[in-house]
Amino acid sequence: MKNMGTKHVFTAGLWGAVCAVAVALIPGVRAAEVSEEDFKALKEEVRKLTEKMDRMEKVHETDEQIKQKDQEQIKQLQDKLGETQTTATEAARKADAATQVQPPIYRVPDDSGSVNKNFMILGDAEVQYAKFPGGHGTFLFADFAPIFLYRAGDRILFEAGFDATLQNGSNPNNGHDSGQTSSFDLSFAQLNYVINDYVTLAAGNMLLPLGTYAQRSAGGWVNKIPDDPLPRDLLPGTGIGAQLLGAIPFGQSGQILNYSVYGVNGPSSSDGTAAPDQLDLGGNVGLHTDNTVGNLHGRPSGGGRLGWFFPFGPPHFDLELGGSIMSGEWDDAGKHLWTGGAVDASVHLGPYLEVKGEYIRTKYGSTVGNINPSGWWIQGAYKLAGLRLQLPGINNLETVGRYDKINDHIGNDSERETVGLIYYFSNTLLLEGAYEFQHGTSQGDVMLLQLGYGF
Amino acid sequence: MKMIMQPKQPLIRFFLMGLAVLTLLGLAPALRGQDAKTNAPAKDPARTAEPETATPGNKEQIGSTNSAKASAEVKQTRSVAKQLTGAELYSMHCARCHPERYPNDRTSAQWKTVAMHMRVRANLPADHFRKLLKYLQENSGY
Repeated sequence: MKNMGTKHVFTAGLWGAVCAVAVALIPGVRAAEVSEEDFKALKEEVRKLTEKMDRMEKVHETDEQIKQKDQEQIKQLQDKLGETQTTATEAARKADAATQVQPPIYRVPDDSGSVNKNFMILGDAEVQYAKFPGGHGTFLFADFAPIFLYRAGDRILFEAGFDATLQNGSNPNNGHDSGQTSSFDLSFAQLNYVINDYVTLAAGNMLLPLGTYAQRSAGGWVNKIPDDPLPRDLLPGTGIGAQLLGAIPFGQSGQILNYSVYGVNGPSSSDGTAAPDQLDLGGNVGLHTDNTVGNLHGRPSGGGRLGWFFPFGPPHFDLELGGSIMSGEWDDAGKHLWTGGAVDASVHLGPYLEVKGEYIRTKYGSTVGNINPSGWWIQGAYKLAGLRLQLPGINNLETVGRYDKINDHIGNDSERETVGLIYYFSNTLLLEGAYEFQHGTSQGDVMLLQLGYGF
Repeated sequence: MKMIMQPKQPLIRFFLMGLAVLTLLGLAPALRGQDAKTNAPAKDPARTAEPETATPGNKEQIGSTNSAKASAEVKQTRSVAKQLTGAELYSMHCARCHPERYPNDRTSAQWKTVAMHMRVRANLPADHFRKLLKYLQENSGY
């Protein structure tokens, strides 16, 4: 009976729940029943919402487009920024490179045609003003001395030097100076062939290595005084022949031992005899005046020089010593020898001070016995830039002094002191002034001014 | 009869004095450099102390080995001593006889010709000539 009661309660409860649910649903069912006005309002609301949504979608699309454009612009700006940074970096790198010392780049010769063959003209020209005793001061075109150089390859060099001078002509009627005449002389012409690192062959009308003056100091602009030292007249400056020369370095400081040996036609006699005053140091070039060929005397002369160059310390501190000798027949009969020699020395004590000189001695047999001419000269020069004075123009000045003496034992025994000043307009254009105090000659003191240019 | 006039004594004295003064001025830097070298402590790389623990039998051998090693070091030092550069050779040779010409005065090919001419005139060694030429060509004008 109890079980039946429980069951009825349960069932009742279940039906009650169902009814409650139904009652809960009834308002919703009831709510579905809306009025037409409400429907229209709702419809209008939906329409408005739809329109609003459309507008919002359009705005969104526009925003998207703007955003895309902005992104593209940002990308472009980023690209430009990157380029700018690259340019700045490159500029900084170039600036750094420009401030650094670049190692020298070996230059290839600019003209392939002149690598193996090259022709050049060097030389110098001088104009002088001279005042000799007993005469009026005058300008004179002292010398135009071009040197032609022709190089063929690495081993062959041909060089020839000329001297063009101008002087007064002569009136044929009375012998008085009239008009002008010019002379053009071949001062030297030699062919040089480099056989190897230690031997070079030279042949032709060569500048002779008797001392070093003829080869290195006898040019107009390289000579610090407008004329040559007196005792240089005792030696031949050139000779026709052949020569072997070379140099051997030793040590690490730049020491050099150099040599030259040669054979030339040698001195001759102006009249063929052995009279002491007929010695001719500049002739005997092989081709006679009658177009015959031959040495005026029997045998050629031979000679040589040995030199030692010793740099001691920084550049421009160096010493050079050398000894030269030459000997051979001189008269046509070949009975008398002429022998000449020189000891040369040159020292540089820094870039400002230079002292050099030669002692020259010769000896030759003659009809009156042996003649022994001799002489010596010493020259010192000092660039005033070494004084480190803050004066305008002083760094372009160089003082020079020379003492020279000659005694040829046939009538010329003289000596001379020269003081001079050089002004360098540039390294190749210089004005030299010199005053020479002469002794032992009938000629008095001489004043020389020379404007010289080396090219 | 030839008369030989006496030289002007005061002028010769003045000239010689001036030459002496200028010589001293030029020698001063060289002497200062020489003095610095003199004051430097003397180096004798051949001297080495023998190890005190060396036995008499091999002491001579060790000494000779050390001496040979030191000689080899000296030779190695000399062999790697500084070679003169083209610029230094240019300073040494190219202003001895005339004012120096600047490298940019001439072209590379012209320098080759001029350098050969100077090689003969000054009788320069081949090695000096090549280094000089290289320096001039590297710094030539055009």
